[in-house]
Amino acid sequence: MFSNGDEIFKISRLTIVWLAGIFTIVWMVCWALGIALPMLLTQQLGDKAALTNEILRAATPVIAILVFIPINAMFMVLIERRALALWTVRKGPNRVGPDGNFQTAADAVKLLLKEDITPTGADAVMHTFAPILFFAPSVFGAVPLLAAVTNNHPLFRVLNLPTGIFFVLAAGALPVVALVMAGWASNNKYSLVGGLRSAAQAISYEIPLVLSLITVCLMAGTLDLVKITEQQAGGILNWNLLGGGALTGLNNALAGGGAKALATSYFMGPISYVCAGLLVISLIISFWLYLTGACAEINRIPFDLPEAESELVSGYNTEYSGMKFAIFFLAEFTNLFIVSSITTVMFLGGGDNPIPPYILNNIPGIPQMVAAIRDSYFCSTLHIINPETFFATLWVIAKVYGLVIFAVLIRGTLPRFRIDQLMAFGWKRLIPLSLIVFIIVVFAREFVICHG
Amino acid sequence: MGQDMLSTLLSAPNVETWAFYLLTTLSICLAIGVLVDRVVIRSGFILIAVFGTISGIFLLLSAQFLALAQIMIYAVGITLMVVIALMLTNPRLEREQLIVYSDESLPPLAKLFASCKRNLNLWVAVLSFVTLYAALIGENHWPLSDQPVSKDAVQVLGEALVTNYSIPFEFASVLLLAALMGAIMLAKGEPKNKVEDGDLTIVDETKKQENNLALQR
Repeated sequence: MFSNGDEIFKISRLTIVWLAGIFTIVWMVCWALGIALPMLLTQQLGDKAALTNEILRAATPVIAILVFIPINAMFMVLIERRALALWTVRKGPNRVGPDGNFQTAADAVKLLLKEDITPTGADAVMHTFAPILFFAPSVFGAVPLLAAVTNNHPLFRVLNLPTGIFFVLAAGALPVVALVMAGWASNNKYSLVGGLRSAAQAISYEIPLVLSLITVCLMAGTLDLVKITEQQAGGILNWNLLGGGALTGLNNALAGGGAKALATSYFMGPISYVCAGLLVISLIISFWLYLTGACAEINRIPFDLPEAESELVSGYNTEYSGMKFAIFFLAEFTNLFIVSSITTVMFLGGGDNPIPPYILNNIPGIPQMVAAIRDSYFCSTLHIINPETFFATLWVIAKVYGLVIFAVLIRGTLPRFRIDQLMAFGWKRLIPLSLIVFIIVVFAREFVICHG
Repeated sequence: MGQDMLSTLLSAPNVETWAFYLLTTLSICLAIGVLVDRVVIRSGFILIAVFGTISGIFLLLSAQFLALAQIMIYAVGITLMVVIALMLTNPRLEREQLIVYSDESLPPLAKLFASCKRNLNLWVAVLSFVTLYAALIGENHWPLSDQPVSKDAVQVLGEALVTNYSIPFEFASVLLLAALMGAIMLAKGEPKNKVEDGDLTIVDETKKQENNLALQR
């Protein structure tokens, strides 16, 4: 059927094995630091260990992120190269290790061992500081997302902020500074043009991005990421992608509420049905607006003008080598991952199962399976597997990496914009569209009772 | 032993005070850095750090939303300013030059006047600082609330903005709109297509009128 079925099979196998490896490692680190070690210390020392345990628990999420970022970036580079090769009918990395799967590990070693060069006439302090400033926001910007993607696991609950999504956006605004800094400090005209372009681009595309997220926050009535995720629980009809809860009435009717549930949610009759339809269309549009804006914000093709190879050598990172370049590279892929996570949490229901519970609980075997996992020794005594978190995290991983693969597909499909096309597209199309969507949502949500 | 010391340090009531002094010292040092640095671009980047420390002070005052807004707006805003500075100056070609003042031959009063004129910015800064300081210190009329900070501070802020402070809020947005429209008018280039002679004079006249209006304002 497929002429390249072999390659598709290899990529799927690689993805499943790598992802299972990554998340097992990260979770084992979290478990050892946050659960096992405190349990052991309490057993040995009693009350004296309370403060140490607190510190260990507080450090767990940060260490988890720091462990996760490098191995995740390695995996994402590899999967991006292989998937691109598949879609453009080429051979991807195929020399190092079995099927070329150790290629990125070899690249990482090469980057670590390379000489770190500061060009003549460059501002050395700024030149060193720029990659750090580019990388740091992607570490602490991911922090409030952790509680939302793990279904409010006790280890990560402390990190949840009442201004969650705003924190993530504020952290996402910082890398622009780093790019301009890198461009200016390199003492290179190509770098400077790359930095200037990234400033112009980020500022133009941040407006539709923020407006599309504001639309979701307006529907949810909160900025808290965990609350936004919890509202969307209960099947695909509750997700913010489909009207931000406008279809909750339909969901309740299907779950057994019947016509009464419909009448409660859509209390104005036909007007409410029309408004619910408008909400669904608006939220789907703002989902695409967010994806477009985010693509531009993290400088991915078709919006990678700051590092357009055909015009600017490599843009703002032309003069970087060795470890500093590796940090730029790492941060770019981490940003892609974070953007996909935000999309998952804000639009795709976080760790929610797309199949609603009233169907799922009627499938024979599934409730028994969950109960068996909950009663097992791993779960009840050692707390290695927490069933609420486990299934939620599986869904999050599937959704997030689905979006990552989608971004790779976009990269393999679309050509790069020209700079004037980019600006015209941003200011004349996306911003008016996002404003219109916002206004429609403001009025339409008054006629529908959303999220129950 | 060490653990006890750590716990006393962590549970001490003045941790916030220490953090406040740390942040203030840092922000003052960085602000001096902004003034002292000869490279315009670099002082622009240091300015971002100054605003970062100020947002840290906001965080200490449990104004999380304001702190984040500070970071979000000023990071991007100052980057723009840096970019404009980059376009308007050429810092790499400018070498530091000793400025020689040629007012030795002037009479004393004129010399004083010239020095005042030269240091106008300094005097404005000093005067405004003294005024602000006197206003802050002179009367202790800042009401201190003993209510606990609301957990959902964003909601309180939003409600205040659309109820008690709705008029200033709307005025600020009208001002921003006017600035935006002004920027668009400035950026709009000349009409490229050639017009007939009669039309051209009309266009010119309307332009003149616009200029006059602008001058009158």
